[in-house]
Amino acid sequence: MGSVRLAAHLAWRNIRRRPAQAALILLTLTMATGMFSVGIALYGSADGPWDRVWKATDGFHVSASYYRQGDLARTGTDLTEVRHRFAELAAAPGVRAVGGPWLQLVQGRLDVAHGGYEDLTAEVRGPGRSLVDQPLVTEGSWLAPASEGIVLEQGLAGALHAHPGDRVRIDGQRFTVRGVAMTVSQGRFPLTVPAKVWVTPATANLMRRAGLTAGGIEMQLRLDDPDDAAAFAAAHGDIESSTPTVFLETWRERRAASHSDIDILAGTLLAAGIVVGLLAVATAAVIVAGRMAAQTRQIGTLKAVGVTPWQIVLALLTEHLALAGLATVIGLGAGRLIAPRLAGTSLTVLGDPETPALSGGQVAVVAGVAVVVVVLSTVRPALRGMRHTTLRALATQARPPRRPARLAQLAASAHLPLAGVLGLRSAWRRPSRLLTNAAGLALAVAMIVVAAGLRSSLSRLAAQPTGPGEALSGAAIGTLYQQVRVIVLATAGLLLVLGAVNAFIVASFAARDGARAHAMLRAVGATARQTVVSLVVSQSGACLLAVAAGIPLGLGLWQLIDGGDLPPVAVPGSALALVAVAVPLVFAAAVSLPAWRLAHRPVATALAYE
Amino acid sequence: MKDPILALLAKAPAHGYEVRQRLVDALGPPGQALNPGQVYVALGRLERAGLVLVQQVGQQRHPDKKVYELTAAGSERVAEWLADVSWAKVMPTEFHLKLVTAAVTGLADPVALVDAQRHELLRQLREVQALADPADGPGGLLLEGAALRLAADVRWLELCEQYWLERGGQPDRAGRASRPDRNDER
Amino acid sequence: MSTPTAVAARGLVKTYAADGVPVRAVDGIDLVVEVGETVSVMGPSGCGKSTLLHLLGGLERPDAGEIVLDGRRVDGLSETAWAVLRRRTLGFVFQAFNLVDELTAVENVELPALLVGAPSRRARRRAFELMERLGVADRAGHLPGRLSGGERQRVAVARALINGPRLILADEPTGNLDSRATAEILRLFADLGRSGQSLLVVSHDARVASTADRLLTMRDGAIVGHTRLDAGSPGALLAEMAGLPDLGGPGPRGGKH
Repeated sequence: MGSVRLAAHLAWRNIRRRPAQAALILLTLTMATGMFSVGIALYGSADGPWDRVWKATDGFHVSASYYRQGDLARTGTDLTEVRHRFAELAAAPGVRAVGGPWLQLVQGRLDVAHGGYEDLTAEVRGPGRSLVDQPLVTEGSWLAPASEGIVLEQGLAGALHAHPGDRVRIDGQRFTVRGVAMTVSQGRFPLTVPAKVWVTPATANLMRRAGLTAGGIEMQLRLDDPDDAAAFAAAHGDIESSTPTVFLETWRERRAASHSDIDILAGTLLAAGIVVGLLAVATAAVIVAGRMAAQTRQIGTLKAVGVTPWQIVLALLTEHLALAGLATVIGLGAGRLIAPRLAGTSLTVLGDPETPALSGGQVAVVAGVAVVVVVLSTVRPALRGMRHTTLRALATQARPPRRPARLAQLAASAHLPLAGVLGLRSAWRRPSRLLTNAAGLALAVAMIVVAAGLRSSLSRLAAQPTGPGEALSGAAIGTLYQQVRVIVLATAGLLLVLGAVNAFIVASFAARDGARAHAMLRAVGATARQTVVSLVVSQSGACLLAVAAGIPLGLGLWQLIDGGDLPPVAVPGSALALVAVAVPLVFAAAVSLPAWRLAHRPVATALAYE
Repeated sequence: MKDPILALLAKAPAHGYEVRQRLVDALGPPGQALNPGQVYVALGRLERAGLVLVQQVGQQRHPDKKVYELTAAGSERVAEWLADVSWAKVMPTEFHLKLVTAAVTGLADPVALVDAQRHELLRQLREVQALADPADGPGGLLLEGAALRLAADVRWLELCEQYWLERGGQPDRAGRASRPDRNDER
Repeated sequence: MSTPTAVAARGLVKTYAADGVPVRAVDGIDLVVEVGETVSVMGPSGCGKSTLLHLLGGLERPDAGEIVLDGRRVDGLSETAWAVLRRRTLGFVFQAFNLVDELTAVENVELPALLVGAPSRRARRRAFELMERLGVADRAGHLPGRLSGGERQRVAVARALINGPRLILADEPTGNLDSRATAEILRLFADLGRSGQSLLVVSHDARVASTADRLLTMRDGAIVGHTRLDAGSPGALLAEMAGLPDLGGPGPRGGKH
């Protein structure tokens, strides 16, 4: 049989013989690939709609804006110099089309149904269609010179549940909604404030009389080449404070900043995906090592018959790569199914989210995750299993330690209960495995700590009272924070569950490895309870290490993340205490089942010789 | 026994008691049972066979004062003996035939014969092993040889038992079940 | 019974289901080991002798029958009670030694003493004493992996002895040993027997079984044979075995068979 066919044959046979293990590995792999896939799909799902609207509205390449509030040099109301500056920009080389400049009326107060008001800015548009940034009407129609009607930005209309024909009250005056439109010139309400409406010059006068003031100017430019936008902005961006401060932004910058809620969600999923991936490595490594130990006899026989060690490793890899392939397919499918649904709950997507087409890069990343997990978890135990000579493999026992554990001797002299001491010694037998498990768990604990920080940070945000001009947006954003908080908690819960599953598997294999030693102890007179305690103690070492390392690690990570938009919040001590207590408890529960089974196995069968 | 005695004289002539001593040393515990007289009888026979020469030294009629020495024929015999690779009989023919004839004639139950023989061998084995403790030197080796052969014979007897059980129909379980009562015998 | 017994069993039965067919591994066995006696059980593999040993040691529960160990009825005891009883009353010696790999030799030996609650210093001292007596004191600080088979088994015997058990149960104690180590262990058992220790030894090896005072033969779960081995006169037998009276002509030494 050729190597590949042999490998495939062995792989298939092994999967059929141990379906539960294969299923477990598949499950953890799929969780990792699924999270990555959803995260990646989500990341790009807002870009499509944005691009659509950008094309449809002849969107800007460079946007120029001036606001009085941002200009420290100027205090007067004369905007002549500012207009002069804008004219210069509009005439600069490379500019193909200009939209505006449009006056911005600020500090409008839009009455909200249940009381309070929302800050509003009105953009004054002249008649005719603009060459750049002509908003895309989704309901009703655009401004007409004869009519008083205003056009609402689509996000605002959605938050108000306002439709063409409805009336809204701004600064005490009533205006009719003539239409609803989308634009890319700013992000969608409520994640971008103040809310935006478009008005005719006549309506603008009415508004000025009602109390709005001229607060700024905006102009949108299209260049000959969209890719020149960055260079253009760099060249013309104002540095000196003597001239009016005009703020330039490129279309790419705007697009990247428009979807903060999706970015956060995708980022969370990817980060969680990494941790899940590492947990998958730890879990799969334990399963593989246990498999190797149980199968050394089979391997010895194969080797004696002439199968080379590399063919056996190949068989093992084939089996797991097949699982990885399946996990990739399922993960990609989950991505395409779940991402649109998640994106649909977003407040920033312009219209229906579009899951980007499955790119080769996407497939490569997701498949890469699965393959990396498989390789990391399979190769080392497999190679170690290979190193046994054939004879040793045929007469195998578990690998005995090389030096007596000094730690255990110390513990013994400290008069710890005997069962605990035995457990400690048993843990120290395989320091590398102890550390691997502890590392995986530590990461999970760290992520849970970060999640706790996020949660309290979001709670604080959500609890902030809505300011005077945020009656509408505040509520919407509060809801958003709640949603993100739920997702964060769910991810933390998922990590805890995975950690428990991992602990369960590790404990099961440890129980199996140690079955003979435990039976011997019982023959010598140790009670079943003592053997259970010793197993739990031996496993708890990893858990305690994980908690001890994971909490500081999580706190450190939180400090790093804390930079951004969220207010600096310390992870509450109560959360840390909860983690320090809950994780070992969950762990002990996960370990207790295999330990209980170990205790109730009849001694004689465990002592029996093969 | 004669050939070893001859061989012991090969290097140099020796007194009778020396020869006996060397034999006893070589045999270990079994050597304790070696009667001095037997050695002298053997030496006498060897002399008559022309393999050994006797020199009288000192007093007459006292066996210890005689010195024995190999003749040329004796040396030849020793060389022959050393080179001889024939071995003790390895086939337990007589016992095997005992079992077969018992089965054929119905005079006795072969399994019972095997049992009895096995118990005897085990008794011997116990003896031999009990004495193995203090024995150092070549004597211990002899006992070890006895033990190994006895153990091997016991294994063969187990095979015989299995064979004759299968051939002989139902084993006498009823008969044997009564045996455990003997546990109560003290 | 007037003389004290180390263990007495009556009507022991143990059935297994092998592929759905019930098999009587132990089929109505009565057994007694007197104090100070060495009893061995011989039989082909699969005859149930190991199961019998496990039943007497509480490693398995009988389906029927009673066991009296050191004067106390034990067949109905719980796992925990058995464990406590085993510490003081029984010592096990196994074919595969069954030492704890990650404890040193002396730590293995003192383990039952610690389980019984002896202070660690006393346990350690007693362990050393026993190991000296058995000739393995110089290996006290080594891990079992570093010891030879014979040394490991002697450590196991020391462990079995440390609490002064009423009865030692040995299951093929020389199965994994070469002939020299086997001889050492047999000598050891003989010493123990002479010093008054009660022993029950299970073996298919005639050399091991013949060291006993009494020999039981098992087949298919039942005891089918029983002999005393300690009768007979020493010495004379040996001369005969050595072929000493045979003073005939030169030729190959004739054997008895």
